[in-house]
Amino acid sequence: MSFDLGKISETLVTGKVDDLKTLTGQALETDIKPGDILNQGLLPGMDTVSQRWKAGDMFMPEVLRCAKAMGGAMEVLRPHLSESELGNAGTIVIGTVAGDLHDIGKDLAAMMFEGAGYNVINIGIDQPNEAFVKAVKEHKPNVLGMSALLTTTMPRMGEVINSLKEAGIRDQVAVILGGAPVTEEFAKEIGADLYAPNAGSAVEITKEYLESKV
Amino acid sequence: MKINQSINMSTRFRVLSEDQIEEIFFAALEVLERTGGVIYHEEALELFKNSNAVVRDKKVRIPASMVEEALNFYPRKITLKGRNGKRSLQLQKDTVGFGTGSDLPFTYDRKTGERRRTLYNDVRNAGKLVDALPNYDFFMSHGIVGDAPNTQTYDRHQFLAMLEQCTKPMVVTSVDGEGLEDLWRMGCVLQGGEEEFRLNPLFVAYIEPISPLKNDRTAVEKLLFAAEKKIPAMYTPCPSSGATAPATMAGMLVQSLAETLLAVVLCHLKNPGMPLIMGGVTTVLDMKKSTYSYGAPELSLASAANTDISKWLNLIMFSTGGCTDSKVLDEQAAAEQMMNLFYAYLSGANLIHDVGYIDHGTNASLESLVMNEEMMGMVRAFGKGINTDDEHMALDLIEKQGPGGEYVTTDHTFEHWQEWYRPTLQDRSDYETWKNNGSKTMIDRVNERTQHLLDTYEADPIKDDQWKELKKIVDDADKRHA
Ligand code: B1M
Repeated sequence: MSFDLGKISETLVTGKVDDLKTLTGQALETDIKPGDILNQGLLPGMDTVSQRWKAGDMFMPEVLRCAKAMGGAMEVLRPHLSESELGNAGTIVIGTVAGDLHDIGKDLAAMMFEGAGYNVINIGIDQPNEAFVKAVKEHKPNVLGMSALLTTTMPRMGEVINSLKEAGIRDQVAVILGGAPVTEEFAKEIGADLYAPNAGSAVEITKEYLESKV
Repeated sequence: MKINQSINMSTRFRVLSEDQIEEIFFAALEVLERTGGVIYHEEALELFKNSNAVVRDKKVRIPASMVEEALNFYPRKITLKGRNGKRSLQLQKDTVGFGTGSDLPFTYDRKTGERRRTLYNDVRNAGKLVDALPNYDFFMSHGIVGDAPNTQTYDRHQFLAMLEQCTKPMVVTSVDGEGLEDLWRMGCVLQGGEEEFRLNPLFVAYIEPISPLKNDRTAVEKLLFAAEKKIPAMYTPCPSSGATAPATMAGMLVQSLAETLLAVVLCHLKNPGMPLIMGGVTTVLDMKKSTYSYGAPELSLASAANTDISKWLNLIMFSTGGCTDSKVLDEQAAAEQMMNLFYAYLSGANLIHDVGYIDHGTNASLESLVMNEEMMGMVRAFGKGINTDDEHMALDLIEKQGPGGEYVTTDHTFEHWQEWYRPTLQDRSDYETWKNNGSKTMIDRVNERTQHLLDTYEADPIKDDQWKELKKIVDDADKRHA
């Protein structure tokens, strides 16, 4: 039976959650490799989405709908993928630092990562420094994302980085920062790897960085 | 004399009909009964448990009757008194006061033009401008004191910076309940004790729920402290339509009203009759740039509607205007600031804050404060409406001057042109005059005026002994948190 993976990409771009799940299931019943469904069907679709988003042709609700569709498809597909096939994007632990209750920016970033195929572990708001360290130890992500919206809570980000160093696991993760009062300069100062001015760019910046490290 | 006359002493503007307001109110009551809100504060949960509300874990659902009862207990009038002893800000239905916003992380340095962190001195300077410019009625810090010695006590340092050069009433933000207590004690030093502060409050405490329908520990801590001491306080939701509230204006208004009404009941349970103020920065999340918009027309529309609701509820209203998403003070800034200033004014909100904000609430600009002074003046002039008494109809004068006559030299003109608005920054000159004066743009004139005020204006100083007492409260806080 021939199956058009292009159809998967197209359906993803229209954000039809249920249709995409069904299609992904159907593809699995053929002899197409699960890895190909991901790499030739879903990911090219998400690429189109992120290009259109970057060009300003797509809006947040549309992008997030596509991300949701991607998430649904991945639920179906993930059990069939090997570690190495999954490995492309990786895992991100993301949270808002202690004393800070702003969540929407961090959540948007999390959704964007999810849409790009990441396994996202969103640990929530007002997370003590130890919670970040613990999550990194536990989930072994390749990316740690921290969000702070307050000048007064930004220092927590540097403290977490120091704790990672003390625990000897700083090199295991790329640290990315975001939030309105955070700047590129500040990120450099405290020894983070990356800074994203908005949720849309976070995924891309991370991807470029991880690729450059390989 | 005529009978059956109705006269508009001012312009009139409203967004919602009474029936619509009722619908929104009933819907908010339904939200509190059906959905409820979560509260991360033990004492508050206890207060609800000992009432007719239903508490399950941290979730509280409140029967409509409790809301209706509590609503009867709030003052419809609060008068704030500045540290100069003037009871200058009457908060009551349809009186409008303008003021700045607070806590902006960044500032454009006036010398280098670079964006940098906001510092103590920036807050002090903003206070100076607010004191000097008559259209400002109250002061919020504008920027955050980024160079405070301790992030846990920055609010006390910020309050000092605010007080140095500003004698007007204030709206203050605080770190937590303990922070608010210190600010209140500082306020009591200036107003002459706790009792005097209660009659003549120096400030309103700014407190916020977390939309949707969440109440965090520090916010509730502040709210309960304010209720205990009867400190005027607002519980002002900051929903972003489409992200933390429904994407419809009506849905956002329903949700934020439910958030407000939860506080209405909570404060009533704690201490009936505390001066609670309704609020809201009701706007949209920009779906292209994913920013919380301070310049969207929906901000103006939803805010004006919210003010309609507040008046119907007999609650004093804290609203938003004079702010922009533009990164600099440019054409976009002028358009957006003017629009949201205008409608906030016409709506009759009592405390209109965030005047001067640029860069969607992240960047401070002293120039923006100065430019808004002119715009507030224009808006106020419009709001005066049209007087149609005999003197103003000028029938006799029209007859006297007759066809082809002139009005420039008449007594009537001499008297009444003074009712017009007189611009200080707008340029209405002819081309040659403008050119000979250096072809200055609005921004050039704003810059000059800003510098002039910073160089020449000095507010009445705080008395030495009072300053010492204030400093002691701040020092003690720093020691406690060292
Ligand atoms: C890891 O990877 C990444 C990558 C990218 C990441 C990322 C992580 N995290 C963020 N990004 C980036 O991508 C996102 C999308 O593009 C962006 O995320 P943002 O979160 O910036 O953007 C969101 C999508 C939309 N933006 C927002 O939702 C924030 C908007 C503003 C107005 C704001 C809101 C809404 C709120 N607030 Co707050 N709030 C303000 C904000 C002003 C502003 N314009 O930023 C700011 C941040 N708040 C401020 C303040 C002072 C406060 N707030 C407080 C509370 C709140 C609410 C709860 C009412 C509410 C948050 C609700 C919620 N569910 O999150 C209080 C603190 C509570 C606490 N302990 O955290 C309180 C302290 C006020 C008080 N005294 O009570 C100011 C900070 C001042 C400072 N210098 O530190 C503030 C700049 C507003 C102001 N001018 O006063 C990027 O930054």
